[in-house]
Amino acid sequence: MEENPPKVNKWDGNALKNALDDAVKDVLLSRFSYVESHRLLDGRLLISSIAVGFSLFALLWDWLYPFPQSRMVMCVCVVAYFIMMGVLTWYTTYLERGIFCTALNKDVAGIDPDDVWNASSSLKRFDNKYHLCLSQKTGKTGKAKKHALSSQLKTSLMRLEGFCTALW
Amino acid sequence: MLQLHFLDDLRRMNIRQLFYQVLNFAMIVSSALMIWKGLMVVTGSESPIVVVLSGSMEPAFHRGDLLFLTNYDHEPIRAGEIVVFKVEGRDIPIVHRVLKVHEKEDGTVKFLTKGDNNNVDDRGLYANGQAWLSRKDVVGRARGFVPYIGIVTIIMNDYPKFKYAVLAGLGVFVLIHRE
Repeated sequence: MEENPPKVNKWDGNALKNALDDAVKDVLLSRFSYVESHRLLDGRLLISSIAVGFSLFALLWDWLYPFPQSRMVMCVCVVAYFIMMGVLTWYTTYLERGIFCTALNKDVAGIDPDDVWNASSSLKRFDNKYHLCLSQKTGKTGKAKKHALSSQLKTSLMRLEGFCTALW
Repeated sequence: MLQLHFLDDLRRMNIRQLFYQVLNFAMIVSSALMIWKGLMVVTGSESPIVVVLSGSMEPAFHRGDLLFLTNYDHEPIRAGEIVVFKVEGRDIPIVHRVLKVHEKEDGTVKFLTKGDNNNVDDRGLYANGQAWLSRKDVVGRARGFVPYIGIVTIIMNDYPKFKYAVLAGLGVFVLIHRE
């Protein structure tokens, strides 16, 4: 557990959610020594990098071969960029779905496949209810379980350790 | 001790999240760039949006108006149309009206321009010895305009320090703010 809980502006909903997510992640990883899987975030990084790559290429090509000649290449790059943006939106909406942490419960013997824990959360704008959803998928049986938890954020400054002990 | 609390978010990020912050910033810049390039491709003009810099076209256009241009090859240049052109060797686009046109059968044109609010035609503005403009000097033909908005661009160009300060501020904000 963090010695110095971070100070958060209680009116900044975004910062609040991030701080709470960080605390949950901390509990999952350090208290239970699960290993974090970066697959979801890596996917997002890859899609964004490809998109930025297209735009950099377009910038370079246009600088080397000024406009009228670069028309075709420009066209392709622009269309490709917006397709990548579409892919990114789809990825964030359907694949990520608010998941901020994926933790793997590795088998000690190294034989059985890992249990996968997914933590996702939501905090609606101007609302003070923080919803946390932990889903566990056991590696051996493939069965999935979900545990949801909502907490009304109090009007005083959040004390993160208190919230985390309440979780467990 | 200087306590830079707004950097706390950054300090608590790991490498991946930091990389994502940079990518986020790059994506915002790229989106603006791609929209601009997309407009270039669609309109066929190297500068699809220009700002009127002088009062030489009053009362039609005033300093600070934003103009939307198209530059389609198949559309002929006719007298009375408002064109935006660049004189060879100079960067600044000029917005004036076409006065006289000489057109050959194969489509090559020579034309003369004049600002509505000027007393003389533009021959004084053209390059040394040049008496006519040709198709390749044209950046585009004015198709629509939005008044006043371009004043921001004029201010940013007159006070470049202000422009850099605004851009730097926005850039830092995007890099630091966690989404």
